Amino acid sequence: MDYLAEKYFRIRKTPSTACSGCGLGQTQKMLTKAIDDLDLGIEDVIWATSIGCSGRQTFAMWKGDGLAATHGRIYAMMSGLTLSLPPGKKIVCTVGDGDAFGIGLQHLLNAARRNVDATVVVCDNLGYQSTGGQYSWTTPEGSVTDSSPYGMYEPNWIQDGRDILNIIREAGATFLARHMSMDGEYGLESMRKALQNRGFSLVHVIFPCITNYASTALGTRNTVNMFRWIKSRARRMDETPDKDTIWRTGVYFDASNSRPDYASVIKGKVKDIDRRSLVK
Amino acid sequence: MKRYLETGNFAIAEAAVLAGCRFFAGYPITPATELAEAMSKRLPEVGGYYLQAEDECAAMHMCIGGALGGMKVMTGTSGPGFILYADPYGWALASEIPIVVLNSGRVGPVSGITGAPGQGEFYNVRFPTQGGNYETIVLAPNSAQEAFYLTVEAFYLAERFRMPVTLLADQLVTDGMEDISVPETDAEKAQMGLRFKDREINYGPEFYPAVDKIDIPPVVLGHNTGALCSDWTPTEEGYDTEEVEACHKHVYRLIYKVRNHKDLITRYEAFALDDDPELVVVSFGTPSRVVKSAVKKARETGMKVGALRLISLWPFPDELFWRRATYLSVELNYDGQLVREIQRACPKDSRVHFLGQCGELPGVQELLTVFQSLLDGKTISPINWQREAW
Ligand code: SF4
Repeated sequence: MDYLAEKYFRIRKTPSTACSGCGLGQTQKMLTKAIDDLDLGIEDVIWATSIGCSGRQTFAMWKGDGLAATHGRIYAMMSGLTLSLPPGKKIVCTVGDGDAFGIGLQHLLNAARRNVDATVVVCDNLGYQSTGGQYSWTTPEGSVTDSSPYGMYEPNWIQDGRDILNIIREAGATFLARHMSMDGEYGLESMRKALQNRGFSLVHVIFPCITNYASTALGTRNTVNMFRWIKSRARRMDETPDKDTIWRTGVYFDASNSRPDYASVIKGKVKDIDRRSLVK
Repeated sequence: MKRYLETGNFAIAEAAVLAGCRFFAGYPITPATELAEAMSKRLPEVGGYYLQAEDECAAMHMCIGGALGGMKVMTGTSGPGFILYADPYGWALASEIPIVVLNSGRVGPVSGITGAPGQGEFYNVRFPTQGGNYETIVLAPNSAQEAFYLTVEAFYLAERFRMPVTLLADQLVTDGMEDISVPETDAEKAQMGLRFKDREINYGPEFYPAVDKIDIPPVVLGHNTGALCSDWTPTEEGYDTEEVEACHKHVYRLIYKVRNHKDLITRYEAFALDDDPELVVVSFGTPSRVVKSAVKKARETGMKVGALRLISLWPFPDELFWRRATYLSVELNYDGQLVREIQRACPKDSRVHFLGQCGELPGVQELLTVFQSLLDGKTISPINWQREAW
């Protein structure tokens, strides 16, 4: 078994139940490798997930404490959890695009505003794939899916000058990056930075869904074909985009540790009030 | 004892602090706003956290987060906010998280009348989320002092049963100004009959054993226990599963931990019921105070009437209705809710009647007239209870 899996994952849940050829494992491995690189142990991390492929497939894989919320609500739960956990714990969170940018966006933006100390990895399979393949708010324009038989024509969160990361940045997130699951060291570096930020970090990772997106939108079930297709539409931040470019990859915004995280703000203030009320 | 002339909301906040609550998340809504305000002032003074959420759904999820880290937590709202709890309430029931929830009833449906008391939430608090396969615990105070007492009790039950406990009040209880005594010494607490239980940590590996037991500590994250908690059906260790047998074991506990320990929960006040009167007037919350006055008056004039006030609403105390009698349910709603449970629980040849209205309490004189006509063998309306109020 892979040493990372052996060190960090429960035997009962390995290998994961994701479809073979799915890029979710790559994404999860990237995050786990970053955790390992930073010498974090099982007891240091609370692994949170939610609904969808990325939720169901990653839940309970982590050997330590695991948590899964209903659809879109994990960000609100984390906002409470960050105040009550013993000091020094890190919350990491693997969620889907529908969860983060659809049903949970309101809670996600508020968690970013609060600068909750958590690393959210949005595992983007370009749609609602665990329900069979409907379009989401990150599905590229024109994609044929089970709920867009004529091609996706609703404005999404990632094209035509819109970028969901802009909104999350405005909301107050302190670290933002975007990658492809096959970005290797390039993505790993961002993951490490995300984890080192004591505040709200989000890494948006595009990965291939073979079973639904690739087969319906691209007419292939071949992982390599979908890898190539994603690659041809992604450009690093320091490269010049072309007309096909959908995703810019790399660190999008880094204000790591530039403002106190939510728990520090609240706890600091409460300590203050508590002290004053004792003096009274 | 410290004495105050204050609102029910104030009493609930003081009780929560006394019970060890150090975390409150809420969203402003009439008539529960004052609870949030009281908590925002009181909690930081004792080292606790007050959070204002982006909506009620987030508020209760934040509470779950707080509880998952080991804190005693509370949230409060009214009907329109309570329905937004549906999602987190279900999660907390299924993953067995102690939370105390205040629902202060106003008049519905939807926003209805914001500043008047209603009791349209009787079933809503029994079925606060989807899916079924659970029991709930609901307590209903009828005064500020009792709201104090029941809040402490709610925290106690939430820990022992490891589940959310709802306080169903109405606008008159939470907003009304009354005398409130707050105990200071242990002797005073004992004298008031207050019960307390601290949070314990579940060290696993079976976080969800297939038993009907209570006093199983809840999942607490961050203590290296390898705890798992989710919205899916858990195995006994907490792994997500699609197995029907696992689901059966899980919901067996959710249902029977409550049903088999109902004696710890059930509370009621019986007034003038010792001589098995012909007519039993049933109510809960604020209307029960008018009912009691009316029954007192009725007894003075020789009417054989008694009053039964439910203090715990759910699990429903069926056993209190096993005697054959004429029952009258007095409620602050027009559709008749409590009356349906009475009709289900009582002997089939009992007569069951309903007197309902919204926004204001019935008058004593009006009640006396109804008592008399029921004792005379007449009904309030010739058809049946569904039509009686009209
Ligand atoms: S449906 Fe798609 S995203 Fe989901 S596990 Fe299978 S390949 Fe991965």
